[in-house]
Amino acid sequence: MSDAARAGSSTGTLLVSLFFIVAGIVTLYDTTTYTDVDSKVFPRAAAILLILAATISLVTDLVRGARESGFGNGDWWRRLLLVGAMLACCLAMPLTGFLPAAAIAFLGALVAAMHQRWTARHVLIYGVSGAVLMGGFYALFRYGLNVPLP
Amino acid sequence: MEAGSFLAALTPLNLLLALAGVAAGTLIGSIPGLTATMAVAVLVPITFTMEPASALILLGAIYTGAIYGGAYAAILLNTPGTPSAIATTFDGYPMAQRGDGDLAVALACFASVTGGLVGALALLFLAPPLSRVALAFGPVEYFWLAIFGLSLIAALSSGALWKGLAGGAFGLILSSVGVAEVSADIRLTFGSQTMIGGFGVVGALIGLYCVPVLIDLVAVPERHLKIADEIDTMPIGRAARLVLGSKVNVLRSSVIGTLVGILPGAGGSVAGLVAYSEAKRNAGPEQRFGQGEPDGIIATESANNATVGGGFIPTLVLGIPGTPPDAVILGALLVQGVRTGPALFESGGGSIAYTFIYGLLIATVLMLPVGLLIGRYAYRSIVTIPKAMLVPGVAFMTVIGTFAIHNSVSDVTLMILLGVFGWVVGRFGFSASPIVLGLILGPIAEQGFVQGWIIGSAMEDLPGMFFGRPLSLAIIAFTLMSLCWPMVAARRQARATP
Repeated sequence: MSDAARAGSSTGTLLVSLFFIVAGIVTLYDTTTYTDVDSKVFPRAAAILLILAATISLVTDLVRGARESGFGNGDWWRRLLLVGAMLACCLAMPLTGFLPAAAIAFLGALVAAMHQRWTARHVLIYGVSGAVLMGGFYALFRYGLNVPLP
Repeated sequence: MEAGSFLAALTPLNLLLALAGVAAGTLIGSIPGLTATMAVAVLVPITFTMEPASALILLGAIYTGAIYGGAYAAILLNTPGTPSAIATTFDGYPMAQRGDGDLAVALACFASVTGGLVGALALLFLAPPLSRVALAFGPVEYFWLAIFGLSLIAALSSGALWKGLAGGAFGLILSSVGVAEVSADIRLTFGSQTMIGGFGVVGALIGLYCVPVLIDLVAVPERHLKIADEIDTMPIGRAARLVLGSKVNVLRSSVIGTLVGILPGAGGSVAGLVAYSEAKRNAGPEQRFGQGEPDGIIATESANNATVGGGFIPTLVLGIPGTPPDAVILGALLVQGVRTGPALFESGGGSIAYTFIYGLLIATVLMLPVGLLIGRYAYRSIVTIPKAMLVPGVAFMTVIGTFAIHNSVSDVTLMILLGVFGWVVGRFGFSASPIVLGLILGPIAEQGFVQGWIIGSAMEDLPGMFFGRPLSLAIIAFTLMSLCWPMVAARRQARATP
């Protein structure tokens, strides 16, 4: 690992530990609003354990240095496109219904995962396969398993 | 145990139902998001017009097939098809990554069949006495059992114990989001209606295990699994030899699975985790659990399929469902007019029960050819399908599978966000497995702890309640052994090395 990558990895590890510590503190604060003591005991115990474990992890990483690989190599635009398309599917589902929304996720994931040069053959094969897959699963869930897909 | 019951299970219709049930269950279980409970629940109405024994055989076959089917996605996509297959990902996916995916799938099949047979035989011969185990387990024992499961974090986090503990604690906090288990306080929702239902285990599993794999897959052009040199044949002989060579592991895990199955509410995921933990604790120095160790798959898969027979013990003898699918099957039994109870196993009333048990045994045996056949095609499909088709196909299935759990778009959104979170923290050494352990075992631990606390306070003997019961002490001892074993093993190894 290069020095720059190691520094990035170290910062990332520390940020994740800090996130966990903050999550523990927020949980502890939230428990003060519960009326029943039985509701408090468990999340409080878990929050204290989280704060302790994350703090020790943070200190250990500060002293020894992080050994993780960090985000590594790979195209960021592909990762973002995949996640963005899946989230866009969630946003679109109540508006467009299930199939058009799922098609957004499918197309986004397809473009993100396609590392070869696009050809007319690819478009045809992947398009037809995608339509069959989505249509088949939609029919299975909607009519076979009676899932009320929007 | 009349011969008539055995012959009744062997009618062409019952054999066909067992075969169809195993195949349907395996296929449904292999789809992330579709659990064994869902598979059984969806197909229950079909059984209403059948003879009770045939209906039970079909449902039992679907159930046992679905538990095994969960291993496919766990091994080939690092996504447990059902929660029972969580621990299968620990070694199954690393095996597939190094090119042994076909061996892993075959191992899962052999182990599942063996575990399923042990569970069904326990149901056949020991149902009434074993059902007393379920009654001996109180809230405190459940609490300690959950803590025992959480002790697996120590084993899963070699070299990063504090990160594992932080992940586990975060999972416990996630499990407490929503309405409290015992009282009615609404916790950690921050005013959001969406969060009141909490984090569903299956959605969280799909998010934390599957989405990170997809994010990694799209970023680089390389395949996610190494293709074996020979993919036309399944390494059946090798898998059989490995399972035969792990007789103690198989037997121990199957017994664990049967016993955990008997405990109402525990289920295949807990059984798999406990069996994995024990297998790892008893492993030799050359075994590398978590890095593609065949014994890890053998332990998990034999245990989770043993819960099928184990879970039917309290269901049929006491009318208390051992696992969630058992609850659905119990409902189907009531619709059929079958009364559960010890009398079901006595002469006269016993014919339905024994026909069903024999049917379950036959279905479990049929799982071997069906499972190997489907497993072969599942493996070939996953390793040969182009990445540009695999990723969108799996992404689509995560969306539809998660939506189907509660028919909720919010579940899908939470699944994706948890997946992104899991990917980010995973890149910095915080593994998803401890988070999932916390999420699954949190409700069991909390309910057991709070109920134990209330009972202990009322009896004015809290220490006695938590530390004075023989079963609790036995589980505490196992937990301590599980926690300390990695250190003891490391010290032994250091001494042995000159």
